[in-house]
Amino acid sequence: MTDVHAHSAKAGPGAETADLDREATRPFGTGPVEPAETGRGGASGPPPTAAGWGRWAWRQLTSMRTALILLFLLALGSVPGSILPQEGSDPASVTQYFTSHPSLAPWLNRLGLFNVFAAPWFAAIYILLFASLVGCVVPRTFKLVGSARTPPPRAPRNLARLPHSVSYPSALSPDAAVDAAASVLGGQRFRLRRPAAGDSGHWLAAEKGYLREVGNLLFHLSLLGVLLSIALGGLFGYKTDELITEGQTFSDTPAQLAEVHLGRLVSGSDLAPFSLTLDKFTADYIDSGASIGQPAGFTANVSYSAAPGDPTKTDVIQVNHPLSVDSTKVYLIGHGYAPEFKVTGANGQVAYSAATPFIPANTNTMLSDGVVKAPDASLGFEGVFVPTAYMANGTTLESIFPAANNPEVSLIGYSGNLGLNSGETQSVYQLDTSQMKEIAGGPHLMTPGSTWKLPGNLGSITYVGTKQWVSLEVTYDPGQIPALVCGILALAGLLLSFFVRRRRVFVRAVPGADGIGSVVTVGGLTRTDASGGFEDEFASLAADIADVSSPSAPLSSAPSSSDAGPAAPADNQKPEPNNQPETGA
Amino acid sequence: MVFKAKRRTVVTTAAAIFVLLVVGIVVSVVTSGSGAANANADMITYPAGHRPDAPDFTATSLTGTPINFASYRGKIVVLNVWGSWCGPCRGEATTLKYLDEQYGPQGIAFLGDDIQDTPTNALNFLSGHGITYPSVNDASGAVEERLAIAVPISGTPTTLVIDKTGHIAGMIDGPVTYPEFNTLLQDAKVTQ
Amino acid sequence: MSVNAGLAHVSTDFMIAALLIYSLALLAFAGDYAFGRPRRKAMMAAAPAADRAAQLASVGAAGGSAAVVLDDAEPGTAEPTASGPGGSVPGATASGTAGASGSGLPAGITARPARPVGALRSIAEAGPWVRAAATLSALGILAHVVAVTTRGLATHRAPWGDMYEFITALTCVAAIFFFYILVKYRAWAIGVFVMGAIVIALGLAETLIYTPAGPLVPALQSYWLSIHVTAMTLSSGIFFVAAVLGIMYLVAERYRKRVAAGKAEPNPLLDRIPSGPQLDKLTYRAVVFGFPIWTFGVMAGAIWADQAWGRYWGWDPVETWAFITWVIYAAYLHARATGGWRGVRSHYIQLLGFASLLTNIFVIQIFVTGLHSYAGVQ
Repeated sequence: MTDVHAHSAKAGPGAETADLDREATRPFGTGPVEPAETGRGGASGPPPTAAGWGRWAWRQLTSMRTALILLFLLALGSVPGSILPQEGSDPASVTQYFTSHPSLAPWLNRLGLFNVFAAPWFAAIYILLFASLVGCVVPRTFKLVGSARTPPPRAPRNLARLPHSVSYPSALSPDAAVDAAASVLGGQRFRLRRPAAGDSGHWLAAEKGYLREVGNLLFHLSLLGVLLSIALGGLFGYKTDELITEGQTFSDTPAQLAEVHLGRLVSGSDLAPFSLTLDKFTADYIDSGASIGQPAGFTANVSYSAAPGDPTKTDVIQVNHPLSVDSTKVYLIGHGYAPEFKVTGANGQVAYSAATPFIPANTNTMLSDGVVKAPDASLGFEGVFVPTAYMANGTTLESIFPAANNPEVSLIGYSGNLGLNSGETQSVYQLDTSQMKEIAGGPHLMTPGSTWKLPGNLGSITYVGTKQWVSLEVTYDPGQIPALVCGILALAGLLLSFFVRRRRVFVRAVPGADGIGSVVTVGGLTRTDASGGFEDEFASLAADIADVSSPSAPLSSAPSSSDAGPAAPADNQKPEPNNQPETGA
Repeated sequence: MVFKAKRRTVVTTAAAIFVLLVVGIVVSVVTSGSGAANANADMITYPAGHRPDAPDFTATSLTGTPINFASYRGKIVVLNVWGSWCGPCRGEATTLKYLDEQYGPQGIAFLGDDIQDTPTNALNFLSGHGITYPSVNDASGAVEERLAIAVPISGTPTTLVIDKTGHIAGMIDGPVTYPEFNTLLQDAKVTQ
Repeated sequence: MSVNAGLAHVSTDFMIAALLIYSLALLAFAGDYAFGRPRRKAMMAAAPAADRAAQLASVGAAGGSAAVVLDDAEPGTAEPTASGPGGSVPGATASGTAGASGSGLPAGITARPARPVGALRSIAEAGPWVRAAATLSALGILAHVVAVTTRGLATHRAPWGDMYEFITALTCVAAIFFFYILVKYRAWAIGVFVMGAIVIALGLAETLIYTPAGPLVPALQSYWLSIHVTAMTLSSGIFFVAAVLGIMYLVAERYRKRVAAGKAEPNPLLDRIPSGPQLDKLTYRAVVFGFPIWTFGVMAGAIWADQAWGRYWGWDPVETWAFITWVIYAAYLHARATGGWRGVRSHYIQLLGFASLLTNIFVIQIFVTGLHSYAGVQ
């Protein structure tokens, strides 16, 4: 423990504040690694051994300056991830970007800019940042544990050099004055140190605020905990999506799910074995006023059973109100319309009968595209569905309101080979018309209940009615709760480290003039970058100590030191005892 | 004092290595994207004695007749998970029809599990391909769910072969081919 | 529930009233900056010679910081850590020492350490301009709070559901926070700058991005709105004040350096900007206030995202920029603890953080499609 006293002898009058800074910070023992930054201390180059290089590199990595640079890189690296479309959240937009920027896109792709947050270079940044973090935090933990057991440093000889100090006369003897100060400071839960047997002088050293460093370390370690929680989710969690029409049921298995994203250690059999039926879906829209057409609410009424054989329960899923089934959550992500069609083949038999999900092309008007495939009748249809039909210019079909107030569908028919018999996979939303011939009479506009008899005795298609579909997302993330806990701990640590000041107060008493009483000097210091307020605390402490150590009236008429100077400094010459905030006398 | 400093360095180094390891795991988890359910093997076989139980279930067929899977005990069962909307299922339908004609007389039972479908579309599909063996009307997916708990079914089509004792001997992921089927059938006959 | 149009009108009226009152407060602060502050300094300079000598003597003997003499800052303002003996107590500096020397005590010793001065008294004693400015600011804040509250009552929800509401709430927070540090640290000189910025921001909000009160889209209908957006509003308002102080710091530092190097003429207006260390401390304290709230806001946003979108972090553009802003402010905090990065550089970083915050609000939310596009601005 360095003694402030040793340095105050060197400092001459008008000592630079920088010197005082160093004195102030170094005794706390957990200051930043100053010499490396400023180049003093001879850290100009590493010794030419491997271990020397390693130590030099490590010291560079764990220096504040490197942490600063890495933080900047982290922020900078995140920028393209927010501006360019990203694979993880919007793969369709990425493909679109490739088509609209054919020469630029491949270069951006090589740099990993379409999947920034999974890119190796981004990972390198936060790996190094966390390594730097740990390299800083662990030694400081040692120092903290060490400093927890050591007493405060001895009081410097000249307390007037400290950033805060005040001297006043006291009627008590030096010993008694220091004792009185000890009672005040001890009552404020400062850790105290009195002179040892051989030390001369009457002084007292007090220190408080160790929780600050605890908070600092807690914050940084909790960030690491958040990272670990994210990893936990990535290993054991999963996310699946499914599109389901009113009346349909699905079970949470890969074969029945539209999209499955499993963590690295998850297999398809690990998914929670629930099954869910969409009973009814309601979408409310504002039908008047300035916000006409804006969605007012989405409600999905579902029945589900948590495991095969479990009793069925009903519930409601809404945006912001996911359904919890065991440890998974089911979210309402999207919705759309599924017009019901019945297709009869040339032989008069029903070849297809189902509600067909159409995908919205415009989420404001819910104008949607879809495809009907009846391979066994060699028929296929491409369709446009409008929930509230309106003929613009008499020729263009548009939707003017997202609710199904006036549903119509416009179909173009094709007959021939749909290309499914070869066994290749096709999107259910796209029709491969390369081996098909367009049927005359299209685009054919239909209202619910109408039938289009196809020319050439090919069959017919009936627009039966309109149902709705929802897309649901099932997620399981075991790292969620740990991440939350670590986040809360990080916040707590942050608050502690900001608002707890590590401060020291010293009291020295020397015998007064003519041996009567003593002159008490109270000095205090705190970390230079502390969040402040110490002036007030110091002033209150000093006043408290003065109260206790000067029980009798002050030796001279007291100046009204409670008045703000600016109004009339000249006035303060006169004693104004009635302005004294406290009357200890 | 020297000893203490050394111990400090050791602990710090150990902590740093630990963190780097953990972060390395994080990175590999994140950068490699989502892991597949398994290495998408075409075929999985389970040796006799280590076979998962085939779940019992009762259901209705596409034509409305009841199906009780327990009654299939004592026979080898070929259970095919499919849907009329599924392209690759159309491809393998001819193969399955042929296998049914060939092995059916030998006492091997063929059963379909039709998921996320309607009876109209499904029956159309079957009659279009000449398949005569029954299929479970599994629109709700409940039967497939029970199967998926036992074995990692990842999509359609999937074909399971169940031995005479009611255990799943193996699974083909994707359209059925003759060589794969033969291998599975020979394995399934071994029940020790 | 439909929007209460009457209350919505009341809200707009009070918002405009607040704007007007703030403008008057701005004038009062400007008056103090131009006239009141020099008078306070002159009074201090005109103190009897003995007092001045005592001041200087005590300062010199203690070897304390010379900042008291150089800066000419009035004792009424906060002098964080850079003050001589007895100067650490606001309001007790020279007067205390002066009084002591007048009463026969040795230099550097006061008769009694004094307690800090009350806030209201210091306002009263700072002169008529400050009194007027403080009163007007308080009235303006009152009107502003009423405006924000009635908007919330009109729409039956927390009043930060679209960009206009967010900006007006943010400026309200900035005004309240500004008032708090104004009084706590007696920092009258920052009034003209911060209040000026608030007036500009509120004015722009009223004229350019005004949106009539309307209901929320379903994704925003959650009690998390009160928690997440409130926290972001609070911290944004506080960072707003920090940014203004940072700009003041950079301007003042550049000016003082140039004057010291002889490259520029001393300018009486610029001379009056508070000293670098003072502004630096104030800025730091503001960021220290705002940063935990921003952190909390991001966390609350993550919890809400999990409820609404199925995952607590998905690198949505707005999420990403909130993260970027957080990282930059963290860099500022680290910079202040790093040699060679304190001072001007750290303020550049802090302003970069605020720029990132503004980018998030005005660029990303409007122009980049993502899950967060609730600005309501067409």
